[in-house]
Amino acid sequence: MQLDKLLRVAKWEVTKNAGGVDKRTILVMALSLVAMGAVAAIAVSGGTGAGMDNGIYRIGVDESSPYYGVAADDPTFDIREPDPAAIERRQQELLYRGTQLQSVPQTAKERAALTELRDSTARYNDRTLARDDNQTAAFPVSVTLVYEQQSGSSQLDPRGGDSSDGSGSSDGGSGTSDSSDSSAGGSGDGSDTDTAGGSGDGGTAGGSGANLGAIGARLTGDVQGGTPSDISPPFPFESLVLAFLYIVPMNFVIQAYGSSMLSERLNRRGELLLVTPASRGDIIGGKTLPYLAGAVGVAALITAALRFGNIAPAGSYVAVLAVVPLVVLFLSATFCGAMFARSFKELTFVTVTITVTLTSYAFVPAIFTDVTPIALISPLTLVVLDLTGQPVGLSSFVFSTAPPLLTGLVLFGLGAGLYREEDMFTQRPIPLKVLDALAGGINSRRSALKMSIVLLPLVIVAELAAIAFLFVLDSVSLNVFGTNQSLGIVLVLGVIVVIEELAKSLHVYAGYEHARYERTLRSALGIGALSGLGFFIGEKGLLIARLSDLESLPIGEAALQGATLPAGLPLWVAGLLFLLPLALHTVTAAISSVGASRGRRAYAAALTVAIVVHFAYNFTVVSTLV
Amino acid sequence: MSEDRPFWRDPRVVIARRDIRSLSREKTIVLALLIQLFVAGFSSFLVVGLTSLYDPGSVAAGEVEMAVTGDAREELEAAAAEQDGTSVTAFESEAAAQRAFDQRRVDAILRGEYVPSARGPGEQIQVTAVVPEGSIRSTLIVVEVRRVLSALERQERLERTPYLDQPPVPLPDTVSASQYFGFTYTILIPLLLFLPPFISGSVAVDTVTEELERGTMELLRVAPVSLLDIIDGKALGMVLLAPAQALLWLGLLSTNGIAVSNPAAILLFITAVTVVVVTLGVVLGITLQNRRPAQLLFSVLTLVLFGGAVLLPEHPATTVAKLAVDSPTLLTYGHVGGAVVLAVAGYAVARVYMGRIAAESL
Repeated sequence: MQLDKLLRVAKWEVTKNAGGVDKRTILVMALSLVAMGAVAAIAVSGGTGAGMDNGIYRIGVDESSPYYGVAADDPTFDIREPDPAAIERRQQELLYRGTQLQSVPQTAKERAALTELRDSTARYNDRTLARDDNQTAAFPVSVTLVYEQQSGSSQLDPRGGDSSDGSGSSDGGSGTSDSSDSSAGGSGDGSDTDTAGGSGDGGTAGGSGANLGAIGARLTGDVQGGTPSDISPPFPFESLVLAFLYIVPMNFVIQAYGSSMLSERLNRRGELLLVTPASRGDIIGGKTLPYLAGAVGVAALITAALRFGNIAPAGSYVAVLAVVPLVVLFLSATFCGAMFARSFKELTFVTVTITVTLTSYAFVPAIFTDVTPIALISPLTLVVLDLTGQPVGLSSFVFSTAPPLLTGLVLFGLGAGLYREEDMFTQRPIPLKVLDALAGGINSRRSALKMSIVLLPLVIVAELAAIAFLFVLDSVSLNVFGTNQSLGIVLVLGVIVVIEELAKSLHVYAGYEHARYERTLRSALGIGALSGLGFFIGEKGLLIARLSDLESLPIGEAALQGATLPAGLPLWVAGLLFLLPLALHTVTAAISSVGASRGRRAYAAALTVAIVVHFAYNFTVVSTLV
Repeated sequence: MSEDRPFWRDPRVVIARRDIRSLSREKTIVLALLIQLFVAGFSSFLVVGLTSLYDPGSVAAGEVEMAVTGDAREELEAAAAEQDGTSVTAFESEAAAQRAFDQRRVDAILRGEYVPSARGPGEQIQVTAVVPEGSIRSTLIVVEVRRVLSALERQERLERTPYLDQPPVPLPDTVSASQYFGFTYTILIPLLLFLPPFISGSVAVDTVTEELERGTMELLRVAPVSLLDIIDGKALGMVLLAPAQALLWLGLLSTNGIAVSNPAAILLFITAVTVVVVTLGVVLGITLQNRRPAQLLFSVLTLVLFGGAVLLPEHPATTVAKLAVDSPTLLTYGHVGGAVVLAVAGYAVARVYMGRIAAESL
């Protein structure tokens, strides 16, 4: 790869875009962006309750009832003349005379309406009482909420003791405006107290900027004070909204990038570049660089705007750096999509898939930013932490960014395997293209070992995402089924087994389909063993380092089992436990490899067998050891 | 066009059929359906999961144990007695409560003291609530603490009513209601129904620019059809897709026990919206002739349109929500009618415009 050639391709990519007819596009685009900003500003500053739920419940109430004012203030309710017949006809949900509810809520909608009215009444009381002369009687209770570590060993809640995991990033602390500091049980984590209540709902004057400023003020405190209704649970909603700002522009960037890449494949246009002395890497790198720079530049602009607009004054370069792996992941997935797609229409669907999948990968773990180290699975969490002014440790930064970054590079590598004359201009269904891409990296039998290692970042990202998703489910199922704690863990085991077996065998299958391997039993067994060995080496090397932070959680432990050893065992047991996973990976990979050598149906059947064997092993280990 | 042809031989219908066939051959339409299913499943999963974290009433999350201390502990106990998900223990000394908290025998400490009010004459109750940090349960605990303290506030207000200018409005009774009712109708259904028009419009951009970029438009034009026929056909194909998908969602929702009212009006509205969006896509495709700028502009403009619809008396998403939940007003039907008029007029104008462009440049 040569830098000057790469830069020249990049320059072409940019100038081809800005010249000619596209000036008009840029103008329209700029105008639309301004319009979008104006709409957003109107929506924020006007705030006349243009909510989605306007008028979905109809309440029959007249002005003599105290609920008239409640319903009039809440746009969710549509006020009608009280009419018992309308209730019968299901044209009104609630009927009030004075303070008496005259109708009996029966349908789901009527009950939901009454619940909504209850919440609305509580808000209405708070608002009217805020104008009362006697504020002591109006707000007789004042609250200070203090977050404190529970020291001592965990008896009731196994997830309570996450604080000792050393990642240190999920502990609150160091809020900017917090004052008194009372140490809690010697655990070293201060609990910050902030009695300057009502920071969120201060009626600050002055347009849209003030509204966003309030969001900014709310970002900093994890300790609240005020009246009971001022308390809000630790859900970093505002910072998540801000973090979403970083994801949205990426979707526009990948759309342009995907179009540019796919149009190289139309009418053999890309051939012109391929015959130049520039290498494949130069071309791909050069065509990608402008979009990478653009996306990172936008992230930097957003951070700067948030910082100097005083919305998130703590935003720094860390937020921008944390976005880079996400950008790489988005671009690489789009690159692969553009290499696989047969037409623009197909690319549109692929792009939407990428957008939805990667956005949820980035977004879901970040929801738990205040709660657990699981949040660190997504680099977006680092952005949230940085915006809220919490420190980001180097280990958590690496833990969070390395898997997506490596995955992005692997995807670029796979796509690049197709960036050559014989693949670029042929049209095949996407699954076959995927096999082509995998087969691109296979030369000899030893490639099976290499491919298993190379695909490992993909496996890790997929497994981490599975943990993050099922983590929610774990807490839910824990609640739903009372004592049945293992459902989430069983699901994690299942998903992980499927991911691992696919990663070990898919490239083997691709190798057979492209006649890179001999179709004999001996060779099939050998290739399977090599693939399993490669996976084992990669897993040992990476997983231990990567996932150690998650071990404190039962669900993380389940995902990890076999990768780490319980302490205090005799040496021979430890050795056995160390070698067992190796045996497992080689055996299951050999099973699916034998199937792969005998065609598609046999591969599917053998893969199923391998998955069952792997799952049985994992489940046994988890239930006996953990 | 000759008149004796049956309608399915009409060139516009033929082109529409051809486009839809090419979609189904690539099987990508399946991908699109899967994505929408994923979006729906994902968003409801997320909301259900998150609400369960917040609301102990929705699932049996186990009770939250609270320690109450201080001289207002009787009032706190009385307030907590109203709540189902909470049980309280009174502690004489603060140190004992702190010990119980450290040993995880209680989930939270509420320390209530009567203090001179900071807001005026008289006394108020100053509550310090200590909740555990860094646990998934803290969300639930904070919500429970808020419930108890809100109940305490209501009690105290009731006792102090004589001092208030006007008494607070009594809260309606609690009934068991689905938490997700509002979410289902105001977020999930509009989301599901507006995604197909957006995807249709985006594919309309693709189908036009693809013919132009591959140079196959030339081939189509040597056939005895006018360019406007080609455009009509392509738009028709894409417009038909969206209501078909919308119908699918409505069917799926009703098999899941979510009743959607006024399906005909909803489908009419969605079709009108699709016509508007597809018209935008086709015009952009014909004007720019290049996928990259056309697609980019399409997404930005659709976003602006959808966001700008806030300025309407009723947002289109609200229109769908009100129709689905069976609370339509005259305004709602007005929006449906307005959308239909806009769709017809918009497409007529776009046809004239594209006819002129075609004469000049294509």
